[in-house]
Amino acid sequence: MAEKAEIAAWLTERIAYFLEKQPSDIDPDVELVELGLDSVYALTLCGDIEEHFGLAVEPTLPWDYPTVHALAGHLAETAAGADAAPRV
Amino acid sequence: MTAGTHLAIMERLERELGDPADPATPLSFSALLAVDEREEFPVTACRRLDELDLHRTYVPAELGGDLTGAEDLLQVIRVLSRRDLTVTIAHCKTYLGAVSVWLAGAPAQAKELARRVLDGAVVSFALTERRHGSDLLAGELTAAPSDGGWSRLDGEKWLINNATRADLLCVLSRTDPSGGPRGFSLVLVDKAGLPERAYRCLPKGVLHGVRGADISGIAFDGALVPADAVVGQPGAGLEVALKSFQITRTLCAGMSLGCVDRALRIATSFALGHELYDRRLVDLPHAARTLAEAYADTLVVEALALLATRSIQALPGELSVASAVVKYLVPTRTDRTIASLAQVLGARALLTGVTGVGGEGFQKVDRDHRIVGIFDGNTLVNLNSLVNQLPQLYRSYWAGTVDADGLAAAATLTTALPRIDGDRLALLSRIGSSVVQGLPALTEAIGAAAAGGDVPAGLAAQAGRLRDAADALHAELTGFRPAARDVPPEDFQLARRYATCFAAAACLHLWWHNRDAVGGDLWADALWVRAALARLLPALARSEDGGEDGELLDALLPHLLAQHRDRMLFSLLPCRLGENRTEVPA
Repeated sequence: MAEKAEIAAWLTERIAYFLEKQPSDIDPDVELVELGLDSVYALTLCGDIEEHFGLAVEPTLPWDYPTVHALAGHLAETAAGADAAPRV
Repeated sequence: MTAGTHLAIMERLERELGDPADPATPLSFSALLAVDEREEFPVTACRRLDELDLHRTYVPAELGGDLTGAEDLLQVIRVLSRRDLTVTIAHCKTYLGAVSVWLAGAPAQAKELARRVLDGAVVSFALTERRHGSDLLAGELTAAPSDGGWSRLDGEKWLINNATRADLLCVLSRTDPSGGPRGFSLVLVDKAGLPERAYRCLPKGVLHGVRGADISGIAFDGALVPADAVVGQPGAGLEVALKSFQITRTLCAGMSLGCVDRALRIATSFALGHELYDRRLVDLPHAARTLAEAYADTLVVEALALLATRSIQALPGELSVASAVVKYLVPTRTDRTIASLAQVLGARALLTGVTGVGGEGFQKVDRDHRIVGIFDGNTLVNLNSLVNQLPQLYRSYWAGTVDADGLAAAATLTTALPRIDGDRLALLSRIGSSVVQGLPALTEAIGAAAAGGDVPAGLAAQAGRLRDAADALHAELTGFRPAARDVPPEDFQLARRYATCFAAAACLHLWWHNRDAVGGDLWADALWVRAALARLLPALARSEDGGEDGELLDALLPHLLAQHRDRMLFSLLPCRLGENRTEVPA
């Protein structure tokens, strides 16, 4: 599973794609809503996260972790937990 | 329960409410028309509903009420809306006001609210504000911490159904000054707990439709509420409100179903009684076809409504899709159906008052129904929600993800369902929609049954066309990226096609799972579902044989006339109406 920096880079690329901007325009410490991603739209990120990382997440995740850095940090932790968990 | 008794609550309520043509009953068409023309709140009708203990339906059975599942509410809403949409809005609003607490409230809060509602308290849901409309996150009404564990409410809510009449209001309040999706909480406000100066009700607007409804406002000025008045977690207000909407948007279909029954009954009565050129209107091809199309559309909406409402319990994780489809498609299509029926009535569609020439009441149902597409998240809000979900929907379609058990439970009318569970709802479906994604497998099953002679070949051909259209739509959707702002019109068009595809799939699933359990001629030779698909497929695929569509609609007309003659609900399922005063065999 990916490291936090790798996850952050991927998220930055996705969000830039959604907003039709350059990844360099995405400040990882600015809230997504301030970047122009409205809160209902942000829910759709969960599908991309699940598809890319194979990780089931709550759609409201971007509400609780509203910046790229916060989201990446949480996903890295969740992924580490998932990797450590015994396989069923 | 057999599928044939599926509308038992409707039938009982219709009987209790009596013949709507009898002016002496409180819920008669003429009494309700007169109240509407005076723009009065339907006080007498609501009192009668209280006497019938209808408010018990707004409280879940596990909290001491009568609500065993969402279909109970769909039936109640449908009965009332057939008589008068204002009454539905005035009375059933208490469920909308309370549902957030049922879904997310602490056990003690839910128990106490249940007690109040069972005692007859009116509850309202206060979300919108004068300056912000559908933009909930712009709300300015605040709930701020105050001394001694109390919160202080300041600000106003406007265009709120029952704001003035309500005893309690569930108020979306800004709890974080900077706002955001976690910056709002729902607060259950009990007017009785507030001093008089802490709030004032704002006057109701003058309305084009549902004229008597109490669509007013409320302004709070330093109103203190206890800390435990917050519903669920602080900051969860938007999430809980959106989950509540998934349920109530789905149930709005009952309003359209009730209104369209009324409109179609008026138009059919008129077409049977009115003569032109020595022929009855109903015998003229154009009028006959319009009635048959309206009937077919009613059955489409009913099938979709039944399956979506059952999905609240059977496929809760997918309700973000089903509720948006219903709340977009059902009111829009029903507005169109009512408009087409106005053509049958001609100028009589505009008559007000009771004139005795036929067509009375049509203009009211026409006016009233238009609000269904507006409130509780308007048509565009719901289409936009579908647009945002399209990436997940095409991915799940190609992955072939289907919750087969959930889908079978949603579609099989005799299957008992688990209770409504807020914890199983999700703001966005992770697995798309089993209804649409289950289409390829269903098409194959129907094809195999047709090969064995168990299913009409014509239906298998229609199902094949639907599946091809679904494949083509999802191929077009693949790689779709919703616009983060300023959604272009063509994206809405894709969402409309998806919704139509969903409705067609819903009809097929419902027919397939109940075809042996429900009797009656409508179900023989798959007649109703073939007529339903004939109405939906042209919007999805180029027609190869338009001729058969006409024959199917012609074949449907006698069933409309029979249900009209026998004073039965216009429905896939048998349901006697209050007009039918013959004794029910014990």
